[in-house]
Amino acid sequence: MNNDVQQRVLRAIAEVLERNEDGIRLDASLRDDLDFDSLKQMTLFILLEDEFQRTMPPEDMAGIVTVKDIVDFINRKLQEPALT
Amino acid sequence: MKRRVVITGAGVVSTIGTGVDEFWRNCLEAKSAVAPIPANWDRYAALHSRIWSPLPDIDPEYLGVARMERLQLDPGSVLALGAAREAFERAGFSIVPDAASSRVFSLAGADAARIGVYLGTGIGGAHSFLQNHTHHLYQRARATLKDYAVTRASAQDRETLDGVLALMAHGPRYHPFVVSMLMPNASSAAVAIKYSITGPNTTYCVACASGTVAVGNAYRAVRDGCVDVAVSGGCEYLNDEHGHIFRGFDVAGTLVRDCADPGAANRPFDANRSGFLFSQGGAAVLILEDLEHAQRRGATIVAEVAGFAETFDAHSMMSLAPGGEQIERMLRAALADAGVGAHDVDYINAHGTGTKNNDETEAEIIDRVFGKSVRVNSTKSLLGHAIGASGAIEILVTALSLRDQTTHICRNLDAPLRDLNFVRAAGQFDLRVGLSQSFAFGGHNAAVVLRRFS
Repeated sequence: MNNDVQQRVLRAIAEVLERNEDGIRLDASLRDDLDFDSLKQMTLFILLEDEFQRTMPPEDMAGIVTVKDIVDFINRKLQEPALT
Repeated sequence: MKRRVVITGAGVVSTIGTGVDEFWRNCLEAKSAVAPIPANWDRYAALHSRIWSPLPDIDPEYLGVARMERLQLDPGSVLALGAAREAFERAGFSIVPDAASSRVFSLAGADAARIGVYLGTGIGGAHSFLQNHTHHLYQRARATLKDYAVTRASAQDRETLDGVLALMAHGPRYHPFVVSMLMPNASSAAVAIKYSITGPNTTYCVACASGTVAVGNAYRAVRDGCVDVAVSGGCEYLNDEHGHIFRGFDVAGTLVRDCADPGAANRPFDANRSGFLFSQGGAAVLILEDLEHAQRRGATIVAEVAGFAETFDAHSMMSLAPGGEQIERMLRAALADAGVGAHDVDYINAHGTGTKNNDETEAEIIDRVFGKSVRVNSTKSLLGHAIGASGAIEILVTALSLRDQTTHICRNLDAPLRDLNFVRAAGQFDLRVGLSQSFAFGGHNAAVVLRRFS
C-alpha cells in the first residue's frame, strides 16, 4: 500500500472533520464511526480532487464505506492522467 | 434620536494593491494595472476592447481563507472574506478562533446579534455559474465527439474536430456546491458564517452601484439603531475562462476601445475617452459603527458617514437619463440627509467610468449642483471598473482622502471634457466633506456623504 497516499487521505479526512488525524483507523466507517453525512462526504471528495489532482465524480464513489476504501480508490485513480 | 455613524476599519483587495496601506500608497502614486486580455478569449469572439485590469496573485492564506473554503466558494466571496478580515483587524476587533472549528471565528467583546452584514455585488457568482454551465453543456457532447474523432473521423476531419474539441474545453467537474457558490448572497453569508455574525444579513444587487447602496443602507441601519456595527462594502469577480463576462460589456460598447497605448487608454473625463477599463474584480469592506460604541471600544475613527440617498431614473436599462434629473434629486437628498449644502462639499469621488455617456452627464450635473470649485477625481481612472465592488472601494478612497487631507489624481486626464476642478496634481487639500456617487445599469443612482472626523 502507498503510505504517502494513506497519510494524505487521513489528513484530508482530518481537515474536513477539524480533528487530529491520529486515531482515524483504516477500517473506520465514514458514516458510522466518523459521522460523515452527505455534505461532509462531498466536501471530502472535493478536497481529495484538489489534493491528488484527479476527477472524482459522485458516481465513482459508490461502494466506498471505510477509510481504506478511499485509499484504494485513490490508488486506482492515480493510474489516470492528472488534471491539467 | 439618530446616532452618529463612523468608519472604524477597512479592508481592500484590488488590482493595484491588497491591503489598505498598499492600495492607498499606490492610489496616491497614480498606479494602474493594465494588461492585454487573455489570449484564450480571442478564440471565442472578436472582442473590440483589448485590455483589462488583472488582479495580482493573492495568497489565500493572506486572505485568511482555508483550502476547504476556497474550494467551496466563488472567488468573489473569497475576496470579500479577505477584505473583511483586514477590516475587522483594522477596526481593532480581536478575532478569536471558535472552540469547535479552526475555520470559524468570533469578534471578542462584540454582541454578534447587534452586528449586521451589508454587501453588494453586481453579478454574484457568475464565474462559478459559467464554469459549471460549460461543464454541463459540453462534458457529454465533448466525450461523444472525441470518441468519434478518434475512432471514425478521417485525418482531415480529425484536424477540424480537434479544433472544435479544444473550444469545448471545460472544467474537470460539475461542482456539488454550485448553487451556494453562484447565489449572489453567498459573499454576505460567507462573511457572517466565518465571523459568527448573527444580525441582519443582506446582499444588494444594484449593478455598478451595489457597493454604494450596501454602504448606504448599512449607514442607515447603524444610524437608526438597528445594529451597532455594520460590515459593509462590495465584492466582484469578473473573470471567466472564456471571456464571457468581458464580452457582455464589450458587445454593449461600454469598454475602452482605443487600446493602442494601454497605459493611457483608460481616461475618465477626458475628451478622448473611449469606454471603461474592465477590471478582473476586487472587494472593499468598511466597518461602520455607532460613534459611542466605537469610542467605548477605543477604536480609531477614519471618517464619519453623514448621509446617503438613492433614486431611480426609470428611463433606460443601459444609459443615464439625459439631464440627470433623478441624479440631481438623489444628490440633494444625500446632502440634506448629511445636513450640509452643496457648497460645503470639498471633494467628489465621481462614478467616472470613462464612457462617453456617463462622464458627460456626470460632469454636467456636478457643475450644476456643486459648481466648479469642488475637487473631483475618478478612482476608476486607476482601477478600471470592478462593478459591484467599485462603489465600496470609492467610498474607502473618499474616507482616506478626508483622513489624510489628500487624494489621488485623475489619471490620463489631459483634455478635461468640462471646466471642473479635477484633481490633476498631488497635494495637500482642505477636505472636510466628501461625496462618493455611483450610477448603475438599470437606472440606479446613489451617493454616500462622508465628513472628516475631528
